[in-house]
Amino acid sequence: MEGMSYQRFPKVKIRELKDDYAKFELRDTDASVANALRRVMIAEVPTVAIDLVEIEVNSSVLNDEFIAHRLGLIPLTSENAMSMRFSRDCDACDGDGQCEYCSVEFHLNAKCRTDQTLDVTSKDLISADHRVTPVDFGDPAAYDGDQQRGIIIVKLRRGQELRLRAIARKGIGKDHAKWSPAATVTFMYEPEIHINDEMMENLTLEEKKAWVESSPTKVFDIDPNTGQVVVVDREAYTYDDEVLKKAEAMGKPGLVEIYAKEDSFIFTVESTGAIKASQLVLNAIEVLKQKLDAVRLSEDTVEADDQFGELGAHMRGG
Amino acid sequence: MSMVRNSFRDRREGYTDKAVIIRCVRKDQSSVSVKLYYLRNGSARLGFWIQGKEYLLPVGIVLKALVDTNDHEIYENLTSYYGEKYVKEKGAVGSQLVGERAKIILDEVRDLSLFTRFQCLQHIGEHFQPVMDGLRKESYHVVAEAVLRDYICVHLDDNYDKFNLLIFMVQKLFSLIDQTSVPDNPDSLQNQEILLTGHLITVYLKEKLEDWLQKAKKLIQDETDKESKSFDFFSLAHIKKVMDKFPSKQIGASVETMLKTGRLVTQTGLDLQQRAGYTVQAERLNYLRFLSFFRAVHRGASFAGLRTTSVRKLLPESWGFLCPVHTPDGEPCGLLNHMTSNCRVTSYYDSQGKIRDFSKIRMSILSVLIGVGMMPSLPKLVKSGPPAVLSVLLDGRVVGAIPSSEVEKAVAHLRRLKVSAASLIPDDLEVGYVPLSMGGTYPGLYLFTSPPRFVRPVKNISLPLEESQNIELIGPFEQVFMEIRCPDGGDGGRNNAFPATHEEIHPTGMLSVVANLTPYSDHNQSPRNMYQCQMAKQTMGFSLQAIRFRADQKLYHLQTPQTPIVRTSTYTKYNIDEYPTGTNAIVAVLAYTGYDMEDAMILNKSSVDRGLCHGQIYQTETIDLSSESNKSDRGQRMFKRNKDAKSIHSSIDSDGLPYVGQTIHPGEPFCSIYDKTENKWQTNRRKGSEPVIVDYVAVDMKNNKNLLQKANIRFRHTRNPIIGDKFSSRHGQKGVCSQLWPDIDMPFSSVTGMRPDLIINPHAFPSRMTIAMLLESIAAKGGSLRGNFMDATPFAKSVKKANGETKSESKSLVDEFGETLKSYGFNYHGVEVLYSGVYGTELTCEIFIGPVYYQRLRHMVSDKFQVRSTGPTDQITRQPIKGRKRGGGIRFGEMERDAMLAHGAAYLLHDRLHTCSDYHIADVCSLCGSILTTTFIQPQRRAVRAIGGLPPPRAPKKVICHACQSSKGMETVAMPYVFRYLAAELAAMNIKMTLELSNGAAA
Repeated sequence: MEGMSYQRFPKVKIRELKDDYAKFELRDTDASVANALRRVMIAEVPTVAIDLVEIEVNSSVLNDEFIAHRLGLIPLTSENAMSMRFSRDCDACDGDGQCEYCSVEFHLNAKCRTDQTLDVTSKDLISADHRVTPVDFGDPAAYDGDQQRGIIIVKLRRGQELRLRAIARKGIGKDHAKWSPAATVTFMYEPEIHINDEMMENLTLEEKKAWVESSPTKVFDIDPNTGQVVVVDREAYTYDDEVLKKAEAMGKPGLVEIYAKEDSFIFTVESTGAIKASQLVLNAIEVLKQKLDAVRLSEDTVEADDQFGELGAHMRGG
Repeated sequence: MSMVRNSFRDRREGYTDKAVIIRCVRKDQSSVSVKLYYLRNGSARLGFWIQGKEYLLPVGIVLKALVDTNDHEIYENLTSYYGEKYVKEKGAVGSQLVGERAKIILDEVRDLSLFTRFQCLQHIGEHFQPVMDGLRKESYHVVAEAVLRDYICVHLDDNYDKFNLLIFMVQKLFSLIDQTSVPDNPDSLQNQEILLTGHLITVYLKEKLEDWLQKAKKLIQDETDKESKSFDFFSLAHIKKVMDKFPSKQIGASVETMLKTGRLVTQTGLDLQQRAGYTVQAERLNYLRFLSFFRAVHRGASFAGLRTTSVRKLLPESWGFLCPVHTPDGEPCGLLNHMTSNCRVTSYYDSQGKIRDFSKIRMSILSVLIGVGMMPSLPKLVKSGPPAVLSVLLDGRVVGAIPSSEVEKAVAHLRRLKVSAASLIPDDLEVGYVPLSMGGTYPGLYLFTSPPRFVRPVKNISLPLEESQNIELIGPFEQVFMEIRCPDGGDGGRNNAFPATHEEIHPTGMLSVVANLTPYSDHNQSPRNMYQCQMAKQTMGFSLQAIRFRADQKLYHLQTPQTPIVRTSTYTKYNIDEYPTGTNAIVAVLAYTGYDMEDAMILNKSSVDRGLCHGQIYQTETIDLSSESNKSDRGQRMFKRNKDAKSIHSSIDSDGLPYVGQTIHPGEPFCSIYDKTENKWQTNRRKGSEPVIVDYVAVDMKNNKNLLQKANIRFRHTRNPIIGDKFSSRHGQKGVCSQLWPDIDMPFSSVTGMRPDLIINPHAFPSRMTIAMLLESIAAKGGSLRGNFMDATPFAKSVKKANGETKSESKSLVDEFGETLKSYGFNYHGVEVLYSGVYGTELTCEIFIGPVYYQRLRHMVSDKFQVRSTGPTDQITRQPIKGRKRGGGIRFGEMERDAMLAHGAAYLLHDRLHTCSDYHIADVCSLCGSILTTTFIQPQRRAVRAIGGLPPPRAPKKVICHACQSSKGMETVAMPYVFRYLAAELAAMNIKMTLELSNGAAA
């Protein structure tokens, strides 16, 4: 075993890329790497989110914590989050989180003076740093003049007021979900589908139809011209085994064979808007690399012994 | 009501266990019960209660005293319902023995040589004069009239009516003896009414008023009788002076105390079965709980202690009136019931909210009855009995008899008039037609218009009327003898012999509001629905809309409630959306790690981070300075901050009250009070173990215009889900959160990327059979895909559609949902392929996953956890005290000790019961073996003062035994302190405890 390398060279092929959506293939690797990437994207890619709220006036119907919590969950643009410092190890400000390196200050000042209910939205949050602002979900094309389209924080009635100062900090999703840049990250094993053409030919059109329809997702279809069953979208297959069961129920086991390719994955990434989906993937790889570096470094150094003690010795085969 | 009860036998010699009872209610709802006992010799006695004591009179005397009559007439009346030709016929209730018994009754009277009405009245008056208050000086005749008026059949004013009713009762009693009719069941709802709060207060108030008037009368009389003083009855000042001794305020105060304590302070008992426990506090934990308090019906505290379970039984008579599901399990099971959602209670007000004129109503009913062929009973006609004619009773008054051939027509006619808006017949008239039978319930036509009866709406299908107009209100008495079918199109086994005349509006009408909210409850095992009814009432939810302005003692509040995707029609009908109680959580049913064993559940930490089930408790503290201090130094204490105590300025504002929004930690002050007289400052400190936030400070200047004396401070405890909190679905499936797991560790779906909010164990299902929860999951999944709410009304399948078609039976509920899911590309059965969040590999099993409405229950660890290393101890025993609030320990009892012994964990046992408890080193005198006679000898204080700065040198400990007068043989022994205490207690009883000390090695 000594000296044997498991080194592989995974390939990434991007299929679709939007600001908040990405779909790509990851090949020539295994589930551990794919899952690690997924986990890092959800929980360890840093973003900026409101973490500290100082409420000056709050006469709204919601209580202070509720508003603070809602503010925290507003996604902020965090393109530069990777280069920011965690406020806990910021040298410039002894960790109280109020300096330009580790935090961004926001102000909110709203008072309802009319009889109409006032919606306080994320648009009312004034940022001190133009790079960190609440994410704009509005489609610029469909933007409708005076209509505010931010995330509603609270609604105010006449005379109610909300005035606060909020500090956004860098953080990761592991600590609190508000720092998670990913709405959804998921991957699937690429399926391999082999239709036993011989057996399929023996089926009547009726049977074929029934078999094709047994799958809730549209994986197979019948060619209207030839009457042959073809795979339209193999990635629509959800591994629910419905077609296999159907084939068995029809008395034709082995009609189709489906395998999951153990080494290729199709990723779907949806971002909250804090980071672009593409950036999210890159950042995740970066974070993953850093983590691996940390392991390698600690293995080489003598400190590892002190750090892990007996466990370290054990890990090294002692 | 005829009853058989063994206790009747013990009344006096010669009594049997059979009696007929009538509870007579006056117009003002005060009631007096009258019992008619059967004697073994064939006679009957009338029993009634005066001043908490039962008096018994022969019926004959009462009958004679009521009206001017003769023996022949009474005999005729009593035996009228027996006719020889009917004996074997259906519905005959008389027997040939009736005549004999009537003779015995009359003979009894004759034996007392009472022949005329006047003689009877004299006889009664003579006996009752001592017990009738205020009639001491009246003639016997007047006393007797008063007895008959106030204690016998008080619901009737006319003596002829009373006479007729007594005759009827005697007939019923004899029929019970002859077994031509069966005894009535007092536990059955058929024979019950409700005691309404308003009526209880009325009755109580009436008694208090009467008491007061009587005492006032006595006071004035005493005053006028005194010859020495010049008392002028016509002078207002004099009267006032006397009355001041006995102020009328007392009446109001006594009603107030009754409402506060729920206790009736009364001499007579008010004809009620219990004295205490009439009030409960309506908690506003959530709206469902609040609502249930007003729909609850308790059977009476006296039944709670009973060993028999017959009163708790769910009887078919209560169908449609009391909810079979909504009753607590455990102690009050079956006693504390809840009214169904359709059920209401009749009152003095009609449906338009106008006060009813009962005499007018009765008159019109009477005229209708005569119109349909009833012979009125007033003229002294010779009557016949049940097989031929049926007695008609209107609110306990025998108004006549109706030929049994006509009665069905008459009943149908009355029902038609009930429904029609134009007639004077009230819509909640109870037409209790008991048909002729062979030894069944005593037949007759019993009509009721009186207040606190249950009524519920059903459709009258025998009338050719429009849909909306044929709703008839029926009561539990008549329901038993009616033919009401379920709207499922079936005939319920009637087979045309008894065609249905009525139809239920909807099957869910048999459930209470809370039970109606359980989705698909018809698919659940029945106890689970009961559990849900209880748990719905302990969930955190939106208890109030105006929570910001309230000062309730304690309020639970859910921050982020949702409306359920799967809901019943009742949910919409009662606008429960105004007071939601839960959250739609994505629930995966799988055994993932073992942290969901035994009803534990795993919550998704990220979901909780995002606000799932967040909540808070509002707690109000009222500080009233005027009530704390005595009256003399009123205004001497005030809220004020001490200028010099800078340390409290961070938490207390200049007015002595806390800042709103301020976090206060346990032990910190939250308000400061200044006492002018003593020039003292006092701060109120926060108790408890968790920090709170000041939510609101309200000052109350109502009583004192210038000086602030009262303040309400509302604190807010944030209660976000943590490990140990309790959650439940709407199907009696409760569980405790055992882990809060990050999103990344939860299993995920490769198609949608969904991670569940919550994981429960599949073992929660097989034995509990809560199929509805699975249905809810699938239905909600389909509903959220389609984007609409799903109707989960129970028994929806058994309702005929408006167009007369039933839903196609072939399609089951599951098939319907399955098709929906399939059309959206999901698995038919609601399962999905999930991948392990930790490894990224496919889970071997397909996982059932879908949204389920989850409720957060109010039981939270933060209110319950109890830890202690060291802390306060009991003064006498020096053992840890008990009680969570005081920082005490948890009892390590005898059984726990046994468990330790069984494990051989002796060291642990020693640690728990001794070292951590009341460890004590005692000095024992080995000479006399006593531990009590040893005392410390204080070493002589040295004259030389210790050098400054240095601690004084420790004096050598010297212990001496008082009994032996020597310090020889002193030993120290470690023992529990209670042992020393035991020795002391024994010594107090002259028992000496001697310890024999020996060295372990020597022993």
